[in-house]
Amino acid sequence: MRLRYRPFQAIAIATLAALVTACAAFAPLYDRAMRQALTDIKIERTAPAVVGLQLRAIASDPRITFGSHVRTRPPEPEAVLAKVPEDMRASYLAPVLGYSAEASVPKGELPPTDAGGPTASTGHVIWRDGACDHVDFTEGGCPTSAGDVAISEADARTFGLRVGESFKVPGIPLNQASATVPSARLHVSGVYRQQPGDYWFGLSLTGLSGIVDPETDLLQHDLWLTDRATFTDSSVPPLNGQASTVDLPLDRDAVGVDDVLGLAGGIQRLAGEARHDTGVFVDVHSGLPSIVQDIRDQTGQSRVTVPLLMAQLGLLAVIVLWLVLLAVTEQRRPEVALARLRGRGRRGARGLLLAELLPVALAGVVPGAAVAVLGAWVARTQVLPGHAPFELGLRFVAAVALAVVVLTAVTLLAVSRVAREPVATLLRRVPPRRTGWSLGVGDALVVAGAGAVVVLFATGGLDGPVALAAPGLVAIVVGLVLAHLTSPSAAVVGRRLVARGRVRFGVSILDAARSPATRRVVAMVTVAAALAVFSADALAVGDRNRAAAAEQQAGAPMVAEIRGNDLAAVRAALHEVDPDGRRVTPVVRMLPPGSDSGGTLAVVPDAFRRIAILPGSAGSASVWDRLAVPDTKPIQATGTHLSLDVDDSTLVSRREDGKPSPVTLGLDLVTRSGETLHTTFGDLGGPTHHRRFGTDVSCGDGCYVTSVWVSTLPGATIDGEATLRHLVGTPGGQEATIGPADRWRSYVDAANGSFRPRSTAPDRLTLVVHSNGPSLVSMAQTWLQPQAPALVSRPLPPDLVTGRFTGVGLDAEDQPAVRVGALPRVPGARPGTVVVNLDAVTRGRTVSAGARMQLWFAHDDPAFLARTTKALADHDVFVASTSTLAGTRRTYDESTAAWSLGLAVVIGIAALLIALLVLVVSAVSTWRFRVRDLAALRMSGIPGGAIGTMAVAAQLPAVLLGVVAGTAAGLVGAQLALPIVPLFATAPEVSTLDLATAWGGVAGAAVGAAVVLGLGAVLIGRALARRSDVRRLRETV
Amino acid sequence: MIRQAKGTRVSTHRLVHIYRSEGHEVAALSGVDLEVAPGEMVGLLGPSGAGKSTLLSLLAGVFRASAGKVHVGDLELSSASPRELDEMRANDVSLMLQGAVRNLLPYFTPQENVRFAQGAARRAGKDLPDPEDVLARVGLSADAHRPLATLTPGHLQLAALAVAIAPSPGLLLADEPTSQLDHPARDRVLGCMADINRDLGTTIVLVTHDPEVATFLPRTITIRDGRVGGEGRSGEEYAVVTPDGFLPLPVHVREDLAPGTLVRFHLVDGSYVLIPEPTEEADA
Repeated sequence: MRLRYRPFQAIAIATLAALVTACAAFAPLYDRAMRQALTDIKIERTAPAVVGLQLRAIASDPRITFGSHVRTRPPEPEAVLAKVPEDMRASYLAPVLGYSAEASVPKGELPPTDAGGPTASTGHVIWRDGACDHVDFTEGGCPTSAGDVAISEADARTFGLRVGESFKVPGIPLNQASATVPSARLHVSGVYRQQPGDYWFGLSLTGLSGIVDPETDLLQHDLWLTDRATFTDSSVPPLNGQASTVDLPLDRDAVGVDDVLGLAGGIQRLAGEARHDTGVFVDVHSGLPSIVQDIRDQTGQSRVTVPLLMAQLGLLAVIVLWLVLLAVTEQRRPEVALARLRGRGRRGARGLLLAELLPVALAGVVPGAAVAVLGAWVARTQVLPGHAPFELGLRFVAAVALAVVVLTAVTLLAVSRVAREPVATLLRRVPPRRTGWSLGVGDALVVAGAGAVVVLFATGGLDGPVALAAPGLVAIVVGLVLAHLTSPSAAVVGRRLVARGRVRFGVSILDAARSPATRRVVAMVTVAAALAVFSADALAVGDRNRAAAAEQQAGAPMVAEIRGNDLAAVRAALHEVDPDGRRVTPVVRMLPPGSDSGGTLAVVPDAFRRIAILPGSAGSASVWDRLAVPDTKPIQATGTHLSLDVDDSTLVSRREDGKPSPVTLGLDLVTRSGETLHTTFGDLGGPTHHRRFGTDVSCGDGCYVTSVWVSTLPGATIDGEATLRHLVGTPGGQEATIGPADRWRSYVDAANGSFRPRSTAPDRLTLVVHSNGPSLVSMAQTWLQPQAPALVSRPLPPDLVTGRFTGVGLDAEDQPAVRVGALPRVPGARPGTVVVNLDAVTRGRTVSAGARMQLWFAHDDPAFLARTTKALADHDVFVASTSTLAGTRRTYDESTAAWSLGLAVVIGIAALLIALLVLVVSAVSTWRFRVRDLAALRMSGIPGGAIGTMAVAAQLPAVLLGVVAGTAAGLVGAQLALPIVPLFATAPEVSTLDLATAWGGVAGAAVGAAVVLGLGAVLIGRALARRSDVRRLRETV
Repeated sequence: MIRQAKGTRVSTHRLVHIYRSEGHEVAALSGVDLEVAPGEMVGLLGPSGAGKSTLLSLLAGVFRASAGKVHVGDLELSSASPRELDEMRANDVSLMLQGAVRNLLPYFTPQENVRFAQGAARRAGKDLPDPEDVLARVGLSADAHRPLATLTPGHLQLAALAVAIAPSPGLLLADEPTSQLDHPARDRVLGCMADINRDLGTTIVLVTHDPEVATFLPRTITIRDGRVGGEGRSGEEYAVVTPDGFLPLPVHVREDLAPGTLVRFHLVDGSYVLIPEPTEEADA
């Protein structure tokens, strides 16, 4: 009956109660769902061998010193498996048991081949239960008895082994003093080809065959498969390094987040206990504990963001509920007065209101909990990856119970506030209300408290969970103060408008000024708009930062890692698929070993600028043009013998005592493999008309002439000129074009002297030398860069004022470089990386095996990647792996940090809906009075259209004021709280953090708030105007 | 059937009530002496702002007296505790507020309102009639279960009366119980109240400014300027001498005797004759 009398109020209270419950209950559900999703994808995307459990047991004897072999056989795999507690076993699939041991074949033991192949090898033999079901036998069959082994196809080729052949491998001597080494005879029973699959637990049987073992200098063989009896049968002596192994694949479908967390602790306990067993050393290995640690870390982050957002929405809902309950109980003052007049006392009056309102409030609990569950279901199925199971859990129940307590407490407080008023006050038709500028005690306390916390936080005095409430607190302070100032200010404005003759608008403002609903609307719209703006800003800032971090980490839309270091082949292949370098470009990265410095990134500047994702203004051509080097051609000389003519030489050298000294003439040559050959051609004893020099060189594959030099005794001077011609290599007889002069870089030094070129013909070069005493002066060819121009991403040491520094070259040698510009950061590279021109740093140098070669693609285009891969393969270059920007972005997006921020969408929308509810409730709880006021205006002759305008004008300014103030409060709150919001699961190696306001998101939220709430105010005003019939002036029940 | 209730005696002694308005203290009542015997039906008359409703509120324990004493039955209200006041309202004193709907919970039917009004008294162990009987007494049996919004103003006032007598109070205080009613409804309400007074012995004090209502009442007390300005019994108007010897003049006499007029009292044949002294102005 009571509910039917005021159904809208009941619906509003129940809706708010549901919202409070939903906020409280959703947080643990979402948190749980995020954990499950995270666990799911972490396990799903990690190799089975990493998430599984591996045990490897060897017999250990404390009497045996390091380096000696233990003859005792290791415990059987079943015994090792028994060490794993039953409750842990339940989380794993069927174990794969095995043995392994060294199987090194001494020289001469392997059957000799016709081609004179190797007769010894080193490697391991293993038994793995069921292995024969996971290999194909190209020859022979599965090993079935002690000593049988199956070998790989590569071993059959490398060592010339055939099925049926046998050889011996040494076992372990009886004791150290024993001179007799027992041996085990192995028979080749088959040749296998491994089938890839999870069964192998990441174990690759092949890939070693024919590679030299650096310890023994023997060729390695692949893993040989054998029968269990090889390790257990007494006819076979114990082999070196014999170990029993157990691989337990994780049952991914069966384990949930709690199982995984429990397993991590169990694994660590198991590892600790197993090591303490006497006589056996068990190595326990699993990547699960580190995955769990990552999950824990990320969960810790979500416990910052989720409460930050949900608690503030919950707080808003509680405050709105409180205000609604105040309005509702205010409206029931006459009823409370009646209860008091009928002798029911305060308690009875409270009971009267509670009997009506508490069931309504608690009626919202079940729908609220259902909304939370529904929201969590949507999050699980639509937002979060993985297949998290549906769970409620104790935290959900506790949250619902907390919501019940809060709802009961808020209702009780609101009811008690009215019930304890004196009967005389309750009977007044218009309750006493504060209308002036002074602040009520309650409001003053809230403003002072919230303001103090905000100030403390802004000045760094607070941190942690309290600081998370900063946006909400700022909004509350602003909202309350503004709400308090609104009524008297509006009264002043209204009176002035009326005085100036703008009666209708003035009356509307005065109407708003005297209505308590106006204050509520201003306060709540401010808080809601602040939350919406903060949420939008947080969401947009998070998205922008994840995008920037992903772009920084990826470097380009797609990147392929190349095996090997054949840059020429790579460039040749790229030229075929993308001649103008618009879709793909080579990038070579060299990191100095054992250093955390950024290393060197060698790029083709023009193409790199177009393809790489560069920060800010770093993509400007003016920056990258500075890496350009002169487009001069190298001087090439090919042959094992070089001859050179020297004509018209006036070169003379004089010692300090004035006596002449011979001048030695030579060239620096760089081989194709990057080796520098300091080559002497001969001595000039004095001026000469013509001399022919010749010398043997290692330039069969061609050399680059990088400099010409003359030398004499230390302290002696050199002066004069000489013309070089006819640099000819044999065999072949091709002449190198060593002129004209502009292919050479003059050397001028005030102390040492000068070395200049002079020539206009390509077939000759005249040297003009004036040396003051150094033993050697040289002149470099312009093709070779003395210092590579470099863009740096970290300030150079202050002593390097000239900008010259030494980096690491692609050949792993020192690389002189000069700073020509700076980049804020280098995409796809570590902090401090130096970017150089690939053409410049490969002149006269090779790419070392330690360099990483990559291809950066302008687009994530699998078809083009396939074409490129094929072209590379045609040049015997292979792609090792590829990564994409989208994939990198996904790793950032699939984190609790991102998912938590995703809640901001919910928060923003919910905050606006709550504010809309405030407007509706305010209208519903005061509609009789307002409609009566409007009816009175209608009665006084004001036309219906104007009544509608006045009804809207009484509320719309308050709403718009609240939106503006809320936007400002939300921005301030974001400035305070965003620095502590986790944006990433782990901080990126290169920080791209940018917490600047996301103006797009902020504007969207502010406009959205203004449109939604403004439209609401307009519709409500019009609805009230429509009901303002003059008959309303009659008193009704 | 409703049982016979014993009327409650009401008396005030030099009752003063002062309230603050816009920063000033205003005396609503300035020494009211009143005596209402158990079972009496008394009307408080007087112009608006004279203090009638204030006096009624003081009798109901809604206001606390600034000075003087208020006795309702054995209870002196100015020193009564809130608990005693609650008990008094539950069992002995009912106040009917001006405007029928202010006395009714809007979401209850008349029968539920009556039951609600009996709640506190019933919990205190008081033997009370059934709500249906209470409604029958005011002639609302047919409307007992109808929503209030469907009742006429007259029936709403009868429902308010039923609620007021629901706990069988010894004293019924009614503030303008007939305002906003048409004559038939007014007469019906007054008739019901007279019946209650006669049948149950309930003391009734009602406030009215309707002279026609006043003629219906056996005793009326006129409140003027916060004091007892006169008393009417069976149609005859009397001035009342206060305990400290003051005698307020009837209104029509005040028009003749301007403030400051000197008068003499002469006892002539057992009756007092009031002789005003001629003023100098009149002599001139």
